[in-house]
Amino acid sequence: MQTLSLWLRIYVGLLTVFFLAPILIVVSVAFTSAGFVAFPPTGFSLRWFVKVLNGSQFLLPLWNSIQLGIASTLVSMLLAVPAAITLVRHRVPFGDVVIAFLLSPLSLPTIILAVGLLFFVAKVGLGSSFAGLVAGHAVITVPYVLRTVLGVYSGLNREVEEAAQVLGAGGFDTFRLVTLPLILPGLLAGGIFSFLLSFDEVAVALLLSNIDTTTLPVAILSYLVFNYDPAVAAISTIQMAVVIGLLFLLERIFGVQRVVFS
Amino acid sequence: MRNEIDGRVAWITIRPLIGLFPIFLFLGIFFIGPLVFNLSQSLHIGTEAPAFTQYIRILSDEFYLSVIRNTLLLAAVVTVTCALLGYPFAYAIARARGSLKSWLIFIMLAPLLVNVVIRSFGWMVLLSGNGVVNWVLEGLGLPPIALMYTWTGIAIATVHVFLPFMVLAIASGLETLDPRLEEAALVLGASRFSAFRLVTFPLSLEGLQTGSILVFTLTVGAFVTVMILGSSSTMVLPLLIYQQLTVVSDWPFAAALGVVLVLLITFILWLQARLSRANWRR
Repeated sequence: MQTLSLWLRIYVGLLTVFFLAPILIVVSVAFTSAGFVAFPPTGFSLRWFVKVLNGSQFLLPLWNSIQLGIASTLVSMLLAVPAAITLVRHRVPFGDVVIAFLLSPLSLPTIILAVGLLFFVAKVGLGSSFAGLVAGHAVITVPYVLRTVLGVYSGLNREVEEAAQVLGAGGFDTFRLVTLPLILPGLLAGGIFSFLLSFDEVAVALLLSNIDTTTLPVAILSYLVFNYDPAVAAISTIQMAVVIGLLFLLERIFGVQRVVFS
Repeated sequence: MRNEIDGRVAWITIRPLIGLFPIFLFLGIFFIGPLVFNLSQSLHIGTEAPAFTQYIRILSDEFYLSVIRNTLLLAAVVTVTCALLGYPFAYAIARARGSLKSWLIFIMLAPLLVNVVIRSFGWMVLLSGNGVVNWVLEGLGLPPIALMYTWTGIAIATVHVFLPFMVLAIASGLETLDPRLEEAALVLGASRFSAFRLVTFPLSLEGLQTGSILVFTLTVGAFVTVMILGSSSTMVLPLLIYQQLTVVSDWPFAAALGVVLVLLITFILWLQARLSRANWRR
């Protein structure tokens, strides 16, 4: 049993400052009473939160982001679950290649996907519709859901499914009553992860959204181009709160260490 | 009769694979489709005679070549910095136990959960002329430094964005490493440093390599940080693509630049595959 040496502890402390500084600075700026971004913050007030929550400038994008995250996650789940079950249960020809293909969106920069989708969506006539955004985000998130479900399902003792079938359950009943409850932790973890990815995605949303479907990160980015005031910090703090809340949920369901090192 | 049997045999072989059909259809349309579209757009297929004009334009212009060079240089600097900064932290995560370990993992993951736009804004507050860094320097009686709108500032913020990926990759390698190997080396008389150099470090190279490839490819494709913290003199390939598309509306050129970016990344992934095969043989 080793403990961390003194030097390592000091180093970890310094890097912690580096990791957290830009985040904590944003939160501290959000609570300023000054009319501009200043450090150290002068006075404490919630005026910037009030400003942000009263206008629709960020609230509509926030709502769009939540809807988009949920929709693309649901699409990812519907696509990934049958695929994962098939890949584990049957001997799929060229299984390794198939899995590599299905996970390949992971290594493509999202800007490339965004550019391609923009051409494609314009040609197909989806325009800058919500459906185009959902499709784009689902391409990005489906590999993550597939990977978590594959991980959980392949570690499962499948004799339980066989037992259910021997006892007379049909294919769908076996799935609904046996398989689904067993893969549910993995599916939920993958789903929350997928939501977070969509919630944070910038490139596809930047190119495919219009003024009605714009997402929160895109709204913050566009605001930043022309303004530099604590309102950005306030809406950013709200977004962080949403994300941290979801992470807390993820920890409750699955345990962070297991997600990280799966 | 024969046909009917053939048909049924085909159905029996295909039927169990039906679960793969939706995902293949979806990725075929919305992932492969756009990529093919991108390529054909860059070659002017469908509009006029197919031509490589856009590619010749990129390769014959010093500005575009310098953008490609800068993109690769930034990615290299960020990758090396992440490796150097991330390794000790990953080591600490792998060796820590109990609540300290959970805390370290949380600290590393926290930036990952905050949007890139917000983190870049955070760095703006830190690095700008009258920002926090200069405020601290002034307090210490040191001269201020200009980091906003410079490559250094962009590199710092980009390291912050991708460092968690490097730490994760190295830590998950070190995590599976049996600490008794290092203890055995110590018992057999190795100093702490040589035990690390001869036992732990070589066994963690795979994680380091995975992390490096990941950070490099992610940096090559990243543009939000450069967009917020950069100026007209700091241009990278993905941002150039975005500008060609939205400001200039030169779609074929943006598509060609996109293909160049994909080729760069494919080359890096190919290199990784070769390297890891070489490791395997050794």
